Amino acid sequence: MKQTFWKRWRITIMLVFAALGPGFITANVDNDAGGILTYSQAGAQYGYSLLWTMLPITLALIVVQEMCARMGAVTGKGLSDLIREEFGLRLTFIVMLLLIFVNFGNVMAEFSGIAGSLQLFHLTKYISVPVCAFLVWALVVKGDYKVVEKIFLFASVVYLAYIVAGVLGRPDWHEAIVQTIKLPPRSAWSDQEYLYMTIGVIGTTITPWMQFYLQSSIVEKGITVRQYKASRLDVIIGSIFTDIVAWFIVVVCAATLFTHGMRRIDQVADAAEAMRPIAGDYAFILFAAGLFNASLFAASILPLSTAYTVCEGMGFESGLDKTWKQAPFFYWFYTLLIVTGASVVLIPNFPLVRITILSQVLNGLLLPVIMYFMLRLINKRELMGDYVNSIWFNGIAWATALIVTVLSLVLVWRGVVQALQH
Amino acid sequence: MSRLTTLATSLSALIGRPVVAADGRRLGSVRELLVDPSVTGNCVAYMALAAPATVTAHMLPVVSVLDVLPSHKEPLRLRSGAGSSELNLPERVVFLEKDLLDQQIIDVHGHKVVRVNDVDLVWEAAHGQEDLWTLRIAEVEVGIRGAVRRLLKGLPRSTVETIAHRFQARVIPWEFVDLIDRDPSRRVRLKVEQDRLSHMHPSDIADILEELGPAERDAVFTSLNEELAAEALEEVDPKLQKALIESMDSERAAGIVEEMDPGAAADLLSELSDERSEAILGEMDPEERQEVEELLEFPEDWAAGRMTTDFVQVSATADVATAIEALRAFEGDTENVTEIYLVDEQNRLKGIVALANILLASSHTPLANVADSRLVSCALDASGKQVAELFDKYNLRSLPVLEEDHQIAGVIHAEHVIALLRAER
Repeated sequence: MKQTFWKRWRITIMLVFAALGPGFITANVDNDAGGILTYSQAGAQYGYSLLWTMLPITLALIVVQEMCARMGAVTGKGLSDLIREEFGLRLTFIVMLLLIFVNFGNVMAEFSGIAGSLQLFHLTKYISVPVCAFLVWALVVKGDYKVVEKIFLFASVVYLAYIVAGVLGRPDWHEAIVQTIKLPPRSAWSDQEYLYMTIGVIGTTITPWMQFYLQSSIVEKGITVRQYKASRLDVIIGSIFTDIVAWFIVVVCAATLFTHGMRRIDQVADAAEAMRPIAGDYAFILFAAGLFNASLFAASILPLSTAYTVCEGMGFESGLDKTWKQAPFFYWFYTLLIVTGASVVLIPNFPLVRITILSQVLNGLLLPVIMYFMLRLINKRELMGDYVNSIWFNGIAWATALIVTVLSLVLVWRGVVQALQH
Repeated sequence: MSRLTTLATSLSALIGRPVVAADGRRLGSVRELLVDPSVTGNCVAYMALAAPATVTAHMLPVVSVLDVLPSHKEPLRLRSGAGSSELNLPERVVFLEKDLLDQQIIDVHGHKVVRVNDVDLVWEAAHGQEDLWTLRIAEVEVGIRGAVRRLLKGLPRSTVETIAHRFQARVIPWEFVDLIDRDPSRRVRLKVEQDRLSHMHPSDIADILEELGPAERDAVFTSLNEELAAEALEEVDPKLQKALIESMDSERAAGIVEEMDPGAAADLLSELSDERSEAILGEMDPEERQEVEELLEFPEDWAAGRMTTDFVQVSATADVATAIEALRAFEGDTENVTEIYLVDEQNRLKGIVALANILLASSHTPLANVADSRLVSCALDASGKQVAELFDKYNLRSLPVLEEDHQIAGVIHAEHVIALLRAER
């Protein structure tokens, strides 16, 4: 009896590890340059007072990601495939255009992250960005992508750096925890900037492109309904891990930058340099290395995922197992995303951090649109069979979409009013 | 053959067009085109004026295509006296919009899964009979032209066509299209007329299976006959093999596994859970079952774990005519046989005769005269590396695997070695 127990236990563990992949990787890519800078800015500008968003965002992230994983496992198709099949060419085309626009902003953000993090080690962006862009391109096109993915998964350990940095920053733990479970005062909402940051934080945590990427990865891995339970665990673990890291980033910036009155991060270097006297050299290095790893990781995955998504949706040949000649659009599009994304960053005096946070806000604006399609799809019984959403899932997901929509509309409206006043 | 008057159109151009009776009364607009392959073949039978909510919807308001007078002008006009009627849907009907547009299809000629952007249709009438038109499905558009045409729909038709023609068309003739349906029972019904897949090479079918989602994959696989299914199954990725076998009942699985090469069958069964492989073995023919069970005993990384037990052996004293007889009686895959093995009374390997030498010798030549007595073989537990080295060194096409008493246990073919080397890469 004892032996069979052990055997079963061992099999369970192995299953979890085997499945620890798509969900965990996706969640980690989520803490990319855009994420790190947005969380940092949130902490620097508002101290602990945006921490309350973390719990609801984590819940929403789990729900949204789980939906994608489930759709991937049940239908064996990517999200753009499904949108195309169920909503037709025109809507797909519009969604793809929006996604390309928003994802391009994200690619730019990744290269900004590379530029910023290497500037900390006194490497000019005119060298670091072209070299890294080429490296990323060559690794994926000429190298073995599976290996690349594994290296990056291992590199996820670097994210623990933020937790260490957080501890080194000697934050006010009591205050941080209270602010995590307490809603902000109503007066906070009248601040246009606070609203902007809230959408940025949501948009950077639950990004539209992640949903496409996760679902394709699940399909690619051949996960079916039978192995699906392990995948769900994978998604949950990944989501929680990524948000714990995010929490620590906000906390460390609140403890260092906010407390010392440095409210606006204009250069990544500023944030890290400001951290140095307060939190010490180690925090500085950890912050910089973490940012570099995250940016490079995401810079290799994001353009690739975008190319896959667009080709799938529009019905172009795609896949790294195809040759350049067989899938020309796929390769050219991928290359173009990297080249243009990297070139924009090379413009002198390019406002790296501001553009990065803007790209995350755009993520937030697109999110409800993508969620609308996801919710319509996942509730189709002819597609999902018995795996349609439960009432609870629908409730949380619709609420998320609705809240983000309302916040976005308020933001846009205020922006318009402001523009008219000037 | 009478000459035809033709008028090209497309699915996207027809959908949404208003339909009016001869007196100008508006009847509705085209929502769907219906094809009944068993009755009208590749011609559209009806235009539905309402979209079918589900495949199982029964009554639909339709107009018969034969009543329509084609034109490029906006409303489609019916011949005088004709009107719409309620159609009781036949069982095998194909909905062009729902089943084809934006869906994946199999390009049987190009061995690919592609997505449909538009369907090109042709109005045809015999010369001199321009009041009786049929609407034939010509080809399926999968390229940018079809996509552009649909994206720009709503602009003036001539503008759309001018822009669309700047892009290259990529079309698949209708006879090379195989539909995929998620609902297996419906697909099997369609298949009666759509049996184009069976003309494809099993390896190409395997590639297509790998490109599809689980529901479509199972539906396509179900529609294959056992022999073809077995050959295709041998070629797909082990992970997919498992998924395919697991989704069908043991009886059909056993039927397919019986058709497979015993070596491949054993590899497949060893991937399944014990209960599942027992269940499949239980449904199998006793003879084939025993063969596979013996192979299952060997570890996978042994030579014995890779070999097949399908081979031809004859007595070392036999002549060429006997060998040819043995080949004719051979039940396995004859294409895989590259040589015949000569054995003594105790079934011990004594010689190897290449097939070409049998072909060249007269029928009464003793096999011993044309045999190669320099025997190359390996033991049951030889490693993959050793086997590959033997193939390389002696330029082999197949290698007998011997038991301790020198009886032939099975044969490894070059294709097994290539698969092995690629897997290790």
